[in-house]
This record gives sequence, structure tokens and C-alpha cells, in this order.
Amino acid sequence: MQILTQLVFSGIALGMIYAVIAFGYQLTFQTSDTLNFGQGEALMLGALVGLTLVATFGMNYWLCIPIVCAFGALQGVVVERIGVRPAIKIKSEFGWIMSTIALGIIFKNVAENVWGRDDLKFPSPLPEAPLHLLGANVLPMELLVVFGALALMLAVEFFNRRTIWGKAVVATFNDREAAKLMGINTGRVITFSYALSSLTAAFAGMLIAPLTLTGATMGAVLGLKAFAVAIIGGLTSGLGVVVGGLILGIAETSTGYYISTGYKDVPGLVLLLIVLAYKPAGLFGKTAIKKV
Amino acid sequence: MSFALRTLVSSISLALVSLAASAAEPIKIGVDGPFTGGSSSMGVSMRDGVRMATDEINKAGGVLGRQIQLVERDDEAKNERGVQIAQELIDKEHVVALVGYINTGVALASERFFQDAKIPVMNNVATGSLITHQFDDQPENYVFRNAAADAIQAPMIVDEAVVRRGFKKVAILADSTNYGQLGRADLQKALAAKGIKPVAEEKFNIKDVDMTPQLLKAKEAGAEAILTYGIGPELAQIANGMTKLGWKVPMIGSWTLSMANFIDNAGPGGEGARMPQTFIQEPTTPRRQSFIVSYLKTFAPKNNRMDSPVSAAQGYDSVYLLAAAIKQAGSTDGPKIKAALEDLKTPVEGVVTTYSKPFSARDHEAITANIPVFGEVKGQRVVYAYEADAKKASEVRMKDAAAKASTVVAAKK
Repeated sequence: MQILTQLVFSGIALGMIYAVIAFGYQLTFQTSDTLNFGQGEALMLGALVGLTLVATFGMNYWLCIPIVCAFGALQGVVVERIGVRPAIKIKSEFGWIMSTIALGIIFKNVAENVWGRDDLKFPSPLPEAPLHLLGANVLPMELLVVFGALALMLAVEFFNRRTIWGKAVVATFNDREAAKLMGINTGRVITFSYALSSLTAAFAGMLIAPLTLTGATMGAVLGLKAFAVAIIGGLTSGLGVVVGGLILGIAETSTGYYISTGYKDVPGLVLLLIVLAYKPAGLFGKTAIKKV
Repeated sequence: MSFALRTLVSSISLALVSLAASAAEPIKIGVDGPFTGGSSSMGVSMRDGVRMATDEINKAGGVLGRQIQLVERDDEAKNERGVQIAQELIDKEHVVALVGYINTGVALASERFFQDAKIPVMNNVATGSLITHQFDDQPENYVFRNAAADAIQAPMIVDEAVVRRGFKKVAILADSTNYGQLGRADLQKALAAKGIKPVAEEKFNIKDVDMTPQLLKAKEAGAEAILTYGIGPELAQIANGMTKLGWKVPMIGSWTLSMANFIDNAGPGGEGARMPQTFIQEPTTPRRQSFIVSYLKTFAPKNNRMDSPVSAAQGYDSVYLLAAAIKQAGSTDGPKIKAALEDLKTPVEGVVTTYSKPFSARDHEAITANIPVFGEVKGQRVVYAYEADAKKASEVRMKDAAAKASTVVAAKK
């Protein structure tokens, strides 16, 4: 039982890392039907900017978070303006895929040149000694990741439901053309959603960097797994990505223990295939009827 | 001057000019390693060692009166990049030899191009046992190595864990690359020779961020020590994972536990890790001292600690070995350099050891089991694990092909 608890705890921590990145995919998909495939790189940039502030300028970890978030938002705006807007303008179905991937690669190369190519250690803001919880060990940083990610997602959901800007986002999601006719500047809403999405990623980077290693290549694998999470959970549901993340995280750790560490990535991906076959919109996604 | 004489004079002078040009033309040597990514601390240290040796040789007048020119390429630790680079270096750059290869997988994938082109390869870091035996079925083998093969390291690791420290239950954690999996096989073989079966054998992938399942399995199986085959960043995640589980057993593993990105990222969790090393950053002989001093001066690494001292030293030595062979061959012709390497007349004083007859037609390994010592991570540096080794460090350990069980003998003393 103790083993299972430990595996579930580690799986939750891992799953929340995936979920918070997947949440970023979901944010832009809602407004513009496009995704930022450079989400992993946005996370990496957030972590590295945070590392520079903390390690080089000696700033306090907590004070850095708003700066990193602001940086992330700015980076998201850049991605939207350069990569996504032209594609949306000419109603290109797939242009944004290549351009966001291209921007991701560019960001990675820039990071390699600025921060070097090695994985760096991010000093942990919390003690590194594990806590004992229900007979299992948990790192304080893991708790921070779980609660930080939840808090961020709740904040965004609250914003979408209660504020006028959020309502504009939801309206744009429901019907972009109708929203435009109602006087909503949908272009700006889309830009805003990209800013919010990269902000989430940068924040996630700052959260997970003390747990993983920080470096130019840290985003690639995480970005990909988060994409799987977004598909499993549903690209239109905030709750979906959390559940999807938890499923994938726990599947990975427990398969690793009970079956074989050589196969630990398999169940999550098998689940992905099953979901795509039987519920293409994701476990929690709304099936959109596309009128052609 | 008659016309005939004039043509003769001009054609002779033309010939002289072209002869002078070919004499001054630099000797191109390829350098291939991962200068980016998780293996880069080895790749960059190796390259720095190679550059330093090349500089020294060029300042002293070069080889055969010609300067050595390095053609450096980053293989990113990717097999397919290594293959492209090999073809480029052979067909476009026309290198006379290659030094490098950090990753066993890249070496295995790329070396056949040099083998086919009859261009010698001095493999200075990659340790997979198969590397020098890939072409055993062919009459000639162009692959040489001056690094400690896994066939040497794995028995050393097992000796350290089982004989010296008396652990009977050990777990193997290896990454899923060629390096990790070939190393795991070597470890299994070495353990079997001692009649021991590992209590757990676990895999992990490059860039994995969570090692909980692997470590839990080892812990539940009652492992008293963890034997590792992987590279720096993931090894650090293993150490960090142990800290998290509140379970600390000794880590003993291949030489990569000395990588700076393991030591830095594991922090206190990495202290006490032990690994075989051909070189430890200590000025134990005048040759080593001058190497360390000029390395630190030229490249100024962080905290005066080389990122990967072993790679730097072996990279440095590999160029001297090759230069000696080219000199002896009196030619940059591949087969002649190879023949000279297999029968080096004058000993080469390197940093790791003094290479006296390092290779023969059948034996392409310069490092034998008696040369590496055990290093230990202590105070964020790699030091000698055993007092006895540190005391005798000034005695240069020479190649001894018969030395198979030296560590066991040393332990019994």
C-alpha cells in the first residue's frame, strides 16, 4: 500500500506538470482553433529567464514569478503576431502548425546560445528534504507544483467566467464570426489568449525547474507529453487536462513499477489511441459539429 | 636563354612552388563529439584537450613540417548526425584521421565509413566494448581507442561493489541508449562471474524527470548498492530521486558519474558516488601538472574544475598518439598511419599514461584494466576514492595486457 501511495503521489506531481502545460494548449485552441506547438519552448524560456534572475541577479524566487509571467506573456504575443496571425488572416488551415514549430526551434536555438547547452541546476526555493505524507515521501517542491498549477488554472477559469474580458474569450470560442459581429475585437482576444497561454507555460517552467533540470532542451519531451494529455483530456476542457495529466502521470509511474520501466510510456500512449478512436474530442471535450 | 631552357626553368620553378605548397598544406584531422546537449560536458572537454595538444604540436613546428588543422563537428549525440559528419569529413574535408566519439551509439554507427575509406579513428572517449571489435571479421581494423572500455569498467565496478565493499544485493539502473544497454550487459556478465544476479534491473530514458518507479523497485528488492550506466543529467535525477525517497545507498557506476552535470545537479545527493577514472584532476606528475595548469589557463572552467577531466586528458593524449604515428609513418596515408599506430617505436608520454607500444595488429586498446583507478565525488569534485591510489598516483601505470584482475589483487593486499 505504501508503495502504491508513493507511486500515486509521484504520478500526481508528474501529471500536474503535464497538465499545466496542456492547459496552455487548451487556452489558445479555445479562441482560435490553433495551438502553439512551441509550448514546451515557452516553458523552457520561462525557466531559464527565472534561473538568470535567481542565480545571476540574486533575486528572490517568489518575486521573480511575476517577472517571468510578464516575460511569458510577451513571448506569447510575439508568437501570435509572427506565427499565427498571418495564418489566420489568410484562413490557412495548417500554416500555423509549421510556423509555431519553427518559432519553437528558433527559441530553442537562441536559448542554447544565450544559456549554453548544458542542463543547469535551479536552486530550490523550498527545503529539499522530503516530507512524509500517508507513509510516502513527497518533496515540498512537488506540492508547490501541484497547488501552483491548480491555483493558476482556477484563476484562469475564474477570469473566463466572471470578467468581461473572459466573457469575450468564451464568446470568441463559441463562435468567432458572431463574436466579431457583436463588437468583440476577436483578433485582440486571440493575441490575449496566446499571451495567457505562454504565461502559463512560463509559470509552469518556473515551478518545475527546481524539480527537473533546466536547459534549452527541457521543453521538448514535456511539450510532447503535454500534447498527449491535451488530446486525452480534451482540447476544450480545463478539467479535462487536469484529469488527463493525472491519468498519464500515474500510468507512467505505476507501469514503471508494476510492469517494466522499459514500457512506462506505453499505457499512456495506448490510452491516447483508444481515446482518439472512440472519443476523438477527448474524455471531457465537447464534440464540435463542424459545418462545411 | 633559349626557348627550351626557359620552359625548363619555368617548369622546374613551377614544380618547386607546387611542392612547397603541398609541404605547407596543413594536415586535416577531424574532431567529432557532442558539443551540445546532455553529453556536452564530455564532448567539450574532449575538444578542449584536443585543441590544446594541437596547439602545442603546431607551436613546436607541427608534424612532418606541416601544421595540424582540426575540423570540428558537433554530432549532438545523435547517431544519424554522426553518420552525416563521417561522410562529410571523408568525402569533402579529406581528413587524414579522426579523433573523438563520446557516445557509443554514434561511434558504432559512424566508424564503418572510416573503416571503408581506410582512415584511422582514434576513439578517445566512447567506451562500448564492441567499438574496437566491430570489424573483427575484416583483415584490417582502422579503429583504435585510448579510453577504458566497458569490458574493463564493468568488472571494476562489480569488484568495487561486491569484493571491496561486500554488497551482495545490487540493482542495475541503465539508460535506454546503446551506451546504457551495452554497459548493462557488461555489468551482468561481470556479476555473473561472481555468481551474483542483480536484484533489480531497470531502464530509464534520456530526459526522464522522475525516477521513482525504478528506485522503488530497487528499494523493494533490498538493493544495498545501485550500479549505474547512464550520463550526467539522468544520473543526477537518480541521486535526487533517492533523496526524495529518503533512501540512500551507494551509487557505483561507469566513469560518467564524474561528469560536471551529474555533480552539480545532484548536489549533496551525489556525494560519495564512485566510478573508474583514467585521470583525476590532481597534479601527480609534472606532465599532468603542466596539462592541468595550461588547461585551466586556456579554458578557465567554473571553479577551476574541468567539466570532464577524463575526456580532456584522453582527448589530449589521442592527438599526441596520432601525431607520433604520422611522424613515424612519414606520410598521411591512412594504411601507413594505421601500420605505424600498431607498431609505435617511441613511447608517447601522455597525461593518462606513457604509451609504450599501446597498440598491436590484434589489440587496439591503449588502456588496460590496471590503468584506471576509482574516483569519488567529494566536496563537489572528483578525488581519489582510495588513499593507497592517491599515494601511488605519481607512478605512471603502464599498459599491461595481462592485467585482468588487478583490482581484486589490490583489494586483498
